Amino acid sequence: MSVYSFYIFDRHTECIYSRRFTQQPSPPRTTSSTLRNGTTVPPSLRQANKDSDDAKLVFGTVFSLRRMCRQLGGVDDQFLSYRTAEYKLHYLETPTQLRLVLLTSPQVGNMRTVLHQIWATLFVEYVVKSPLAPTEHTGGKGVGNELFEVGLERFMEAVFRPQQQQQQ
Amino acid sequence: MWRKLKTGSGCFASFPPHSLIAAGVQNVLHGTWGSRYELHYSLTQHLDLLVRQGSPTSIMVVFALLIINKAGGLIYTRTFAPGLQKLDSNDYLILAGTFHGIHAISRSINPAPPPPPSSATSSNLSSSTTTSQPTTQAPPQPPSSTAGNPTRRRPHTTGIESLESSHFRLTCFQSPTGVKFLLFTSPEQPNTDVVVRRCYEMYGDYVMKNPFYSLEMPIRVEKFDRGVAGYLVRP
Repeated sequence: MSVYSFYIFDRHTECIYSRRFTQQPSPPRTTSSTLRNGTTVPPSLRQANKDSDDAKLVFGTVFSLRRMCRQLGGVDDQFLSYRTAEYKLHYLETPTQLRLVLLTSPQVGNMRTVLHQIWATLFVEYVVKSPLAPTEHTGGKGVGNELFEVGLERFMEAVFRPQQQQQQ
Repeated sequence: MWRKLKTGSGCFASFPPHSLIAAGVQNVLHGTWGSRYELHYSLTQHLDLLVRQGSPTSIMVVFALLIINKAGGLIYTRTFAPGLQKLDSNDYLILAGTFHGIHAISRSINPAPPPPPSSATSSNLSSSTTTSQPTTQAPPQPPSSTAGNPTRRRPHTTGIESLESSHFRLTCFQSPTGVKFLLFTSPEQPNTDVVVRRCYEMYGDYVMKNPFYSLEMPIRVEKFDRGVAGYLVRP
């Protein structure tokens, strides 16, 4: 019962927030790898590229699945989640076409209320109502403020840790 | 399909192929039954009873079955009950291709951390996120460049197994040969993995063993149609 990552995409199909909750193992390389034309890529830049690529992949997957569900189930059908053997992806779309995507371990139940609460109590309170945040979060500007980050961290701790404590 | 009943033992050799919740029914019914007709009649009665024990509006039903071959082409499509939007054959083809692609992508966005390495050989030690963008990523690492990590093997990740939406649930079973079975059911339908495996068994029995069926081609086998209809359509 653990959470792996969390993404927020806005209506311009851009990733405005992404957060990883697990430690990705940094590959134990002694030398930085080289591209085909011989230039070297520093590991930090490569990791950043990988993160943005992951976000794009997630968005593409979610967009195509949502379209598929609309096609099959009718206009009012909502794609809720999908599960593989390694992870489960939960999806919530707000009326302003803001998309919240949460990736957790596969045994987790329905996270729709959790996503809705994140949106209502964290995003709306700390991002939308913030006087310093712009209305359009191009490139994630204005979303990653401290209140939102800390609040999200505490919220995830509250949702996912108590199960582990109860098991002990 | 109908086999001789074991009388007095309390367990059944077979049950009507369309009883999806027959596993539960098996525990309910016991005792000796004199004739097949009685068995069928009482089983259907118990089936209705078990279905109605749920909420009055919950209907567990299978909407459609789609089979996708290794390359992503649709080779079988059949709807059994209304509930999904009417799509023409072209739309189903596009859907199958789209799902095939999404299935492959969902294998690569695996965010799970790798399992802790085992002690000696550490054959499971590998990176959790596999690279899927060959153009921007570096070429694969040279093996044995670091101590204690002989080869970097990608973990065996699976794709989408089940997809939940508000009107239907999609269960995807991928056979070891790469053939995908997509089963569209109502969200309350239990045991969808059992149902899809049964469809896979029927595929093996009626399609694979058919000497006139060419691999990866659309399935036009009448026995398969009848078997699947008998199993998935509720009377």
